[in-house]
Amino acid sequence: MLRDHKAMFGRKRNGQKIVKPTLEGLCSLLEVPAGQIFKIAEIRGGQGLHRRLLALGFHPGDLVTLDNEAIMNGPVLVRNLTSDTRIGLGRGIAQKIMVETVTGDER
Amino acid sequence: MSDRAPVIVFIGQPNCGKSTLFNSIAGYKAQTSNFPGTTVTHVHSEVLWNRKVYSIVDLPGTYSLSPHEPQEKVVLTHIFKEKPDLIVNVIDASLLSRSLELTLELLELEYPMVVVLNMMDLARKKGMTIKVEELEKKLGVPVVKTVATRGLGTDVLMEAIEKALRLSARPDAPRFSREVEKRIKDLMDILPEDFPLVANQRFTAIKAIEGETLAVDKFISGPDRAFKSELDRLRQEVSALRDAPAYEVISVERHHLALKIFEDCCRVTHSKVSAIDKLDNLIMDPVLGYFFMLVIFAGMFYLIFKVGSPLETWLLKPWEAIRLSIENNLGHSLLAELLVGLVQGIGGGLAIVFPYFIPLLFLIGFLEDVGYLARASFLLDAFMHRLGLHGKSVPMFILGFGCNVPAIMATRILESRRDRIVTALLIPFIPCAARTTIILALVAFLLGPWWALGFYFFNIFLIAILALILKKWFKYDSPGLILEIPSLKVPSLKSIWQKIYFNLKEFVRFAWPILIGGSILLSFLSYVQFDRLINAILSPLVSGLLGLPQSLGVTLIFGFLRKELSLLMMFQALGVGYGQLLSVITKTQLLTFVAFVSFFIPCLSTLSIIWKELGKKVAMMSAALNLSVAVVVSWLIRLVASLF
Ligand SMILES: Nc1nc2c(ncn2[C@@H]2O[C@H](COP(=O)(O)OP(=O)(O)OP(=O)(O)O)[C@@H](O)[C@H]2O)c(=O)[nH]1
Ligand SMILES: [Mg+2]
Repeated sequence: MLRDHKAMFGRKRNGQKIVKPTLEGLCSLLEVPAGQIFKIAEIRGGQGLHRRLLALGFHPGDLVTLDNEAIMNGPVLVRNLTSDTRIGLGRGIAQKIMVETVTGDER
Repeated sequence: MSDRAPVIVFIGQPNCGKSTLFNSIAGYKAQTSNFPGTTVTHVHSEVLWNRKVYSIVDLPGTYSLSPHEPQEKVVLTHIFKEKPDLIVNVIDASLLSRSLELTLELLELEYPMVVVLNMMDLARKKGMTIKVEELEKKLGVPVVKTVATRGLGTDVLMEAIEKALRLSARPDAPRFSREVEKRIKDLMDILPEDFPLVANQRFTAIKAIEGETLAVDKFISGPDRAFKSELDRLRQEVSALRDAPAYEVISVERHHLALKIFEDCCRVTHSKVSAIDKLDNLIMDPVLGYFFMLVIFAGMFYLIFKVGSPLETWLLKPWEAIRLSIENNLGHSLLAELLVGLVQGIGGGLAIVFPYFIPLLFLIGFLEDVGYLARASFLLDAFMHRLGLHGKSVPMFILGFGCNVPAIMATRILESRRDRIVTALLIPFIPCAARTTIILALVAFLLGPWWALGFYFFNIFLIAILALILKKWFKYDSPGLILEIPSLKVPSLKSIWQKIYFNLKEFVRFAWPILIGGSILLSFLSYVQFDRLINAILSPLVSGLLGLPQSLGVTLIFGFLRKELSLLMMFQALGVGYGQLLSVITKTQLLTFVAFVSFFIPCLSTLSIIWKELGKKVAMMSAALNLSVAVVVSWLIRLVASLF
């Protein structure tokens, strides 16, 4: 798991070879480029985490974008466009939020 | 309700301005800052308005009624055990749609309620126009607009509260979709007679479906099997509606309801990127952000020193003159000694503490209100994880620079006890305002600013090392960070001033008298030569281990009360004025002493708050840890100095 996301991190740095999530494919918040808009498809992970995120206003269907990504395996900064809030999420947690691309008119 | 003052609780999501609103009604009593999770316990006040007494309670913020963090549970206790007469639901109007989710959940309680749209200034700046009448109609409760920092709208709020209490109208709970409503109704119908109701039948049923562990669980695990299997079936049916857990289905329904209300009641005319947003992007930049952080903290240090040191020189002069004239006129009589003690106590407080104390409080208050604490937490999270901690501990460390006591209180927002203990063990190593004052007033003033800065950096480095050591001790499994980053706000000078005033009052009322009293007591002890006994007892430590003049021993006793006492009393114990200090002790001795006093034990108030919050064992552990660190560090300073 750990090696996996390190590889992802590296790939992102060396050139823009990010695999964009396909229409039906899901992608975790860790894998998407900053600045683009995505839709939350699913929140994985235990009930505690799940409910916490719901309470903070992060629901499936919400539009989100990564504001930026801290270096050194730090947390990521996620902006929820639907409720206009921002939260910092540790990498382990961001990894459990699955997003999908949005079609033009959903914005 | 007629003989008892009606109880009104302020409930809202974190950082919506509950405490600021509370303060503007009840006078400054609750801490405020632009960080979600500032209030960790309830604060209560009796308020007289229109010849009637109201009992108002400020509570910690909570995102929902399914609490996650320890301080959020306080809210539930208040709702269900204390049974308030009225709920005042405070909302950050600039985050209306998200905040309404909690409002909808509160409406399910069917308690009398008033909704407050606070931070209307920010909402307006965002281009939001909120139709209040429309919102009142949708929610079925009165809605009031306020700007708490400027005290706007508080009168209207009090009127609304009075009226709501008089009418005591209970709102109707919001309705979910038909499918969900059907299941709620089904469950309400089969709730057994003796089922422990929370608030009302409907609320209980919803919480049971959500799988909330209020009073429900005990009952469910009880003998009524038929009920349990029925509940399971209903839960599964709800769950099947969206192919998600039942609690998510209900939460999503509230979310959609909130969005709908938001769209109907609020128009957003423009949403342009403001200058503040641009600044925010710079501060939070993954690379530049760290540079800014360094600049901010170094700048703070520089500013305090630049303001403090000329002021200190200027303020010290008259007291020094008075001291000399007493000594010239009265010689070494008891009266003279006592007077000198008095003068040094007063002068020490004024000239040494004030020039640094106030600027430091100002800057920390500024950082708090701007919203930098949450940003620093975010930026330092990765680093803190390496030290076996959590980004969420960062605000406590920054608060610790003001005073260790509230910093230790603030550890309540950490979910795991392990994190709380480790953070609370580390906080006493943070140089608080009083200790910073000493470092600046003695080290920077006498040895130069670079020495003080060096000492400071060493101090922070030491904390990192200790964290690593503690990580070995306490198994590390911190959960990842989940922290809302509030918007940057232009701080209100009034709010910062209130914070300074609050701390200053504490100092003048509590610490300064001790300082003066202690100073006089020390004069007396040395006049009757009792201090020699204490010094003799402490001599192996003071002169043997630390290589300091024996006469400093007695100051350590005072240092336990407050750190600055030992350093200020140093002059008296050595029998010299401020300017002549370096003629009786060497620079190394000064540094050794400052280091030892800084660390040797958490001050009395810090130790008692650790005891109170985390128990005797942790308090003892803290004392032992501090003492060992103090001995090692002072010994190291001596060792290094002897090499040169
Ligand atoms: N611009 C503006 N700022 C406000 C207003 N009300 C509060 N603030 C600021 O918002 C921040 C949060 O206020 P608090 O009163 O601490 O919020 P709280 O709801 O008590 O927060 P928690 O205790 O963490 O739940 C502070 O920095 C306040 O100065 C307002 O009406 N307008
Ligand atoms: Mg508060």
